Amino acid sequence: MTITRLPRQPYHVVIVGGGGTGGALAHDLILRGFRVTLVERGELTSGTTGRHHGLLHSGARYAVKDRESAVECIEEREILRRVCPGSFEENDGLFVAITDEDVAYEPLFFESCLASGIPARRVSREEALRLEPNLNPEVKMAVQVPDATMDAMRMPLRFFASAKAGGAVIRPWTLVTELLVHDRLVSGIRVRDLVNGVDDEIRGDLVVNATGPWAEQLAVMAGCDVPIRPSPGVLLAVRGRVCNMVINRLHPSGDGDIIVPQRGLSVVGTSSWVVDDPDDLGVPEDHVERMYSEGSMMVPAVRHAERRAAWSAARPLIGSRDADTGRELSRTFKCFDHRETDGVEGFVTISGGKGTTLRAMAETTADVICRKVGVEAACQTREIVTLPHTAYYAA
Amino acid sequence: MTETAAELRTTRFVVSRRKEGDDPGELRYDTFDVAVGPRSTILDSLVSIRRELDPTLTFRHSCFHASCGTCGMRVNGREGLACVTPVPEGGEVMVEPLGNIPVVTDLVVDMDAFYDEFDEAGRPLVRVSEMIPGAEMAEGIDELERYEDCIECGICLSACPVAGSDPRYVGPAALAAAWRLVDEPRGRDPGPVLRLMDDEQAAWRCHLAWECTEACPSGVDPAAAIMRLRRAATAARARRLFSFGGTR
Amino acid sequence: MASTTVEPRRPEPGPARRRGFVGWFDPRGRRLGGYAFILNRLSGIGLVVYLYMHLVILSLLVQGPGAWDAFVEIALSPPVLVFDVVLLAGMLFHGLNGIRVGLVGMGLVVSRQRALFIAAFVVAGLVTLVGALRIFGGEG
Repeated sequence: MTITRLPRQPYHVVIVGGGGTGGALAHDLILRGFRVTLVERGELTSGTTGRHHGLLHSGARYAVKDRESAVECIEEREILRRVCPGSFEENDGLFVAITDEDVAYEPLFFESCLASGIPARRVSREEALRLEPNLNPEVKMAVQVPDATMDAMRMPLRFFASAKAGGAVIRPWTLVTELLVHDRLVSGIRVRDLVNGVDDEIRGDLVVNATGPWAEQLAVMAGCDVPIRPSPGVLLAVRGRVCNMVINRLHPSGDGDIIVPQRGLSVVGTSSWVVDDPDDLGVPEDHVERMYSEGSMMVPAVRHAERRAAWSAARPLIGSRDADTGRELSRTFKCFDHRETDGVEGFVTISGGKGTTLRAMAETTADVICRKVGVEAACQTREIVTLPHTAYYAA
Repeated sequence: MTETAAELRTTRFVVSRRKEGDDPGELRYDTFDVAVGPRSTILDSLVSIRRELDPTLTFRHSCFHASCGTCGMRVNGREGLACVTPVPEGGEVMVEPLGNIPVVTDLVVDMDAFYDEFDEAGRPLVRVSEMIPGAEMAEGIDELERYEDCIECGICLSACPVAGSDPRYVGPAALAAAWRLVDEPRGRDPGPVLRLMDDEQAAWRCHLAWECTEACPSGVDPAAAIMRLRRAATAARARRLFSFGGTR
Repeated sequence: MASTTVEPRRPEPGPARRRGFVGWFDPRGRRLGGYAFILNRLSGIGLVVYLYMHLVILSLLVQGPGAWDAFVEIALSPPVLVFDVVLLAGMLFHGLNGIRVGLVGMGLVVSRQRALFIAAFVVAGLVTLVGALRIFGGEG
């Protein structure tokens, strides 16, 4: 597939944040002819992106309560399969009904899936047990949806690889110490290079805040405000693939109601609470216990499976400060142009979203950037196949 | 940290440091005293050090569950993934970067060097999955697939005594990757890769220390892969020898 | 609007930490396969050294019965008998492990490599024990 490289723009975009969104945005902007520099304080995807359970959402999980997210997910799922071929465990998923309440919830769930454009198929109890012999024998019925497993680090790394090959400068181990702001105009960033300890300035026409749950911490440096609440959840990985397909509980979102098979492990997630500092999450043991108990409601083998790891990851949730657990906030994403929200020029924040929607978030942000600098450049990331992740390390 | 104060113990970490500009021969270590809980991992402690004691400490991490392979390092001389290595009890804990791969900074090694060999092996990321015994495949699914076990962590390369003395050896990771391609080509031609690895600095350089397989956090068994690769390479040579001018 | 060109920066990596040739014999941090590796190298070097020694000693035969008998006297002294036991152990281990290396290294019985090592070690040990008993039991 030939890449249509637009005439080189004179504009330089500086992206702060080396997660999936930053990588996808670098890739999108490079294809639109921008010059791009991306800085990340640690290893790429070391923030939130690398930590999630690896679910490539069909969107079914959001079909009932969060239609916007559901539609985003199913569209992006198809695009990602096209532009990141061979990067997923595509085994579909089952939403399993264990209790009578689950069964009562099913018609609404099923209709919502179809209304969101998510292919769904009802599966009888007998068939569910044939497909997944390890399911709780109490299972009453199930719904098959096109969930899949992604590698939370390697899939976004493909975008970084493509961006880098296209000329983007990717700088991990580079910490932003200050935003360069003067007269309500952001002109760049001051950074400390953690490899040699040297301080430096990187100037650009626009700075993008793609730091996920750290979005507010960075925005504050420019005197801007973004309503992002870090909302962590606990995840548990146990040894062994206890299921062939992704298993979800057929009920309104709750704790521990997903099991994602991933390589030789099964990842059970997740829970939800809100914090102020995304660098200080902790791993509450009672949440871990909930993963075991809820997970084993779907697949009893989880109860006694050997623990490989238990950790926390902070979602960036957009919404009001008064949010309680985080579950009430939407999982959609938003691009904030700070000229409109805070009267500060040259600064844009993209936050919210999920691992599955990284490309869509990048497209939206790149569209906003083009509008701001007055450039007409179409998005090409729906068609251009990304490079394999190993290309990021190519000499 | 969510443990109570009573459950915490203070542990001394001796961590290897390196910044650009250091003398090539110089080995520097910094000492940190860290509060460690009963379930703390090495990675948890490193994150604590970075957050509370020294923000310039650099180390790779991403998934926190032995899936991404970025946090490989040596703890008290043994290779492992920091995210699933518990903090050893009693005494100081020495943390060093992986061996046999150039060190960029502190605990970060230069994965470009690792992937240069790996890429030549050209392995695909996904393969056919084993099924849970007795299970059927769902409608619309032609074959069940899953990611390869190998998470490209470099631990096998670090543990290998041959790689420890010879930088030209391609190493167990690349060889295991080549074997996986030969074993399950998935539409690719394994011939060139097999010929590439049928080399004195590749498949034949191994001396069966088996350290790679023992150290691998993901069950890859690179040592067995190398032996099977040798068998395949020998068979391919024999076929070429006896093909009398047939396809090369 | 002004913008700066940022050069891609590839930090110059420092040298890799390698244990080197000496690391072949360092058992720290190693497991069973690593011990087999070390023992194989040590016994191999030992056997090569012994081979040359043996040839030198055999050359004494050229010097006539007197020289040979003098050697035999030394050969029956306790230190040399101990050396004989060590030599026996080395020969047995190297030979039996060598069979393992030969088979596994050709891609045969790969899944049994650990068991083969343990078997080689145990058999070498037992036969050495028997040999030691015979050597020290008075049959020179």
